[in-house]
Amino acid sequence: MTVIDKNNPSPEWIASLRKRFPTEKEMDRVLTRKLQRRAGPGYSPISLETFCASLQSLLRAELKDPFEIRDAKWLSGGASKLQVAFKLDWNQPGVGRTTTPMVIRMEPAESIVETSRLREFQIIKAMEGVLPVPPVYWIDDEPKYFPYPTIIYGFAEGVVKPSGAGSNVSGLGINFGPELRKVLSKQYMEQLARMHTWDWSKANLSSLDVPPIGKRTFEMHLNWWRRVWEEDSNRDVPLLRLAANWLEDNMPAADRLSMIHGDWRAGNFLFTEHDQRISAWLDWELGHLGDFHEDVSYILRPDLGHLAEDGKTYLYSGMMTREAIYEAYEKATGFTINPQTIKYYDVFHQYRSAVIVIASGYRPARNGKTHQDLLLTWIMGFGYLNLDNLRKMLEEVA
Amino acid sequence: MEVRPDIQIQVILKALKDVILPAVDKDNKLAQEQTHLAIGTLQLMAKFLPIAYRYDRDELDRYVGLSRDLIAQVGNRAGGGAFKNLATVAAYGADVLDRARAEPAEMEKAVFDLRATVGELIEAVHAGGDSATKTSVQKLILAAAKPELERERAAVVDMGWETDPSTHAPPIEKQLPPLKA
Repeated sequence: MTVIDKNNPSPEWIASLRKRFPTEKEMDRVLTRKLQRRAGPGYSPISLETFCASLQSLLRAELKDPFEIRDAKWLSGGASKLQVAFKLDWNQPGVGRTTTPMVIRMEPAESIVETSRLREFQIIKAMEGVLPVPPVYWIDDEPKYFPYPTIIYGFAEGVVKPSGAGSNVSGLGINFGPELRKVLSKQYMEQLARMHTWDWSKANLSSLDVPPIGKRTFEMHLNWWRRVWEEDSNRDVPLLRLAANWLEDNMPAADRLSMIHGDWRAGNFLFTEHDQRISAWLDWELGHLGDFHEDVSYILRPDLGHLAEDGKTYLYSGMMTREAIYEAYEKATGFTINPQTIKYYDVFHQYRSAVIVIASGYRPARNGKTHQDLLLTWIMGFGYLNLDNLRKMLEEVA
Repeated sequence: MEVRPDIQIQVILKALKDVILPAVDKDNKLAQEQTHLAIGTLQLMAKFLPIAYRYDRDELDRYVGLSRDLIAQVGNRAGGGAFKNLATVAAYGADVLDRARAEPAEMEKAVFDLRATVGELIEAVHAGGDSATKTSVQKLILAAAKPELERERAAVVDMGWETDPSTHAPPIEKQLPPLKA
């Protein structure tokens, strides 16, 4: 049998994957870059001073007036990117001299979720005025100033979970409690509906391909994750082969294109505790254009919720019952949810999640490519629950 | 399963060296020393783990040989109960040695290759197989996945991803075949 050295990918192998799994132009660029850099050095710790020096260089190029960076500190949270909070004293266009809290968001050498900072920058910018999102200021995509591709965005006030509440790593399994849950779930559903009904066609989203409407809407996106499995996996998993083939054979026809967040869940929004309002939606790196069912299915994942206080009722996303989600969504959008299409995306989400945690949790950690390889190998354990959920779903639908 | 000691030790070492050691109070000599010892111990483990099985097999081989030499030299002229015991234990040791042929790394590679080739077959059947073949392959893969995933879920259950104990898979020790007596 042919043995491929995935830690030192050959140009021929990279070319064969690109041909076999055609995906969006920007994702092809990002994934190809990942493979071309894989044999290079791993991640070395970067000091706050180095971060600030890179930031100084970027700001000197972007700003004409004097500025000062202060109070830089590391932020925790998230498994895929490095984040540093700081304050910028500057002459903000249209505002004047002011102090703005901001965040540097930089990729490690290779990430558990390899995505595009350009795409993330464009989507957040486009969502300003549509949803609560942090303002984005600058991007260093090549990168020219930072060691790896980076965006700078505004620091949004708020918390991901109520003070004192517990959760697993990456914000999974947050319990908001009955009172706060009621208030937040309403906003959670209304804002999802607002994003899905938003007219994205006039926005600057040049890094997103517009998929065809119909049976092939999902093809490029599915190829993205099939390609990632080939690129990053270590041991093969026959069940995932079966799942990928089923997903290829059963793509549902979409009748419209919506902006898809791709990770719409507790842990990825901030809320302000004093007025119980969602203050910012974060983590847009999986954003793309697609069928609204994709996000609706995501919030109905069986592994992202918990039981209500009665010990019997399952709250999807830690928010609402399945029936309540359907009702709230259809009322807010005017769309009709097709339960069969939801089932398709249910299979996809378990597939994608298993690809991310088992394949892309393994490969960067194996090559010492991130600032928290230890967390990546811990998250890998989640993949077996994903796979078992996937197995059950395939037994039902295949 | 990918959650294995080789990569786990590697990432623990990286976290200790890159993140934890630089954050340990320079004036706390005990904490500094213990952190360095933890790193050193893990480095030793990382080095020994891949050869541990071969090391033990070699040691067993030497002791079986030594025991046979002792039995031949001493005979039943002395030793009493110890002589009898040694003969019994040496025979058992030789039997274990006889059964301990493949290296763990060889076993891992054989599984790795089988997984990859099963994957290739699935793709080939999907691309060109008839409907009946596709259905039978699908059934076999789904059926094989169930016990495989029960083992994998049980192996990582202490990570806490599964919050409802009533749905946990049986403990991994109970799922594996018992050791040959």
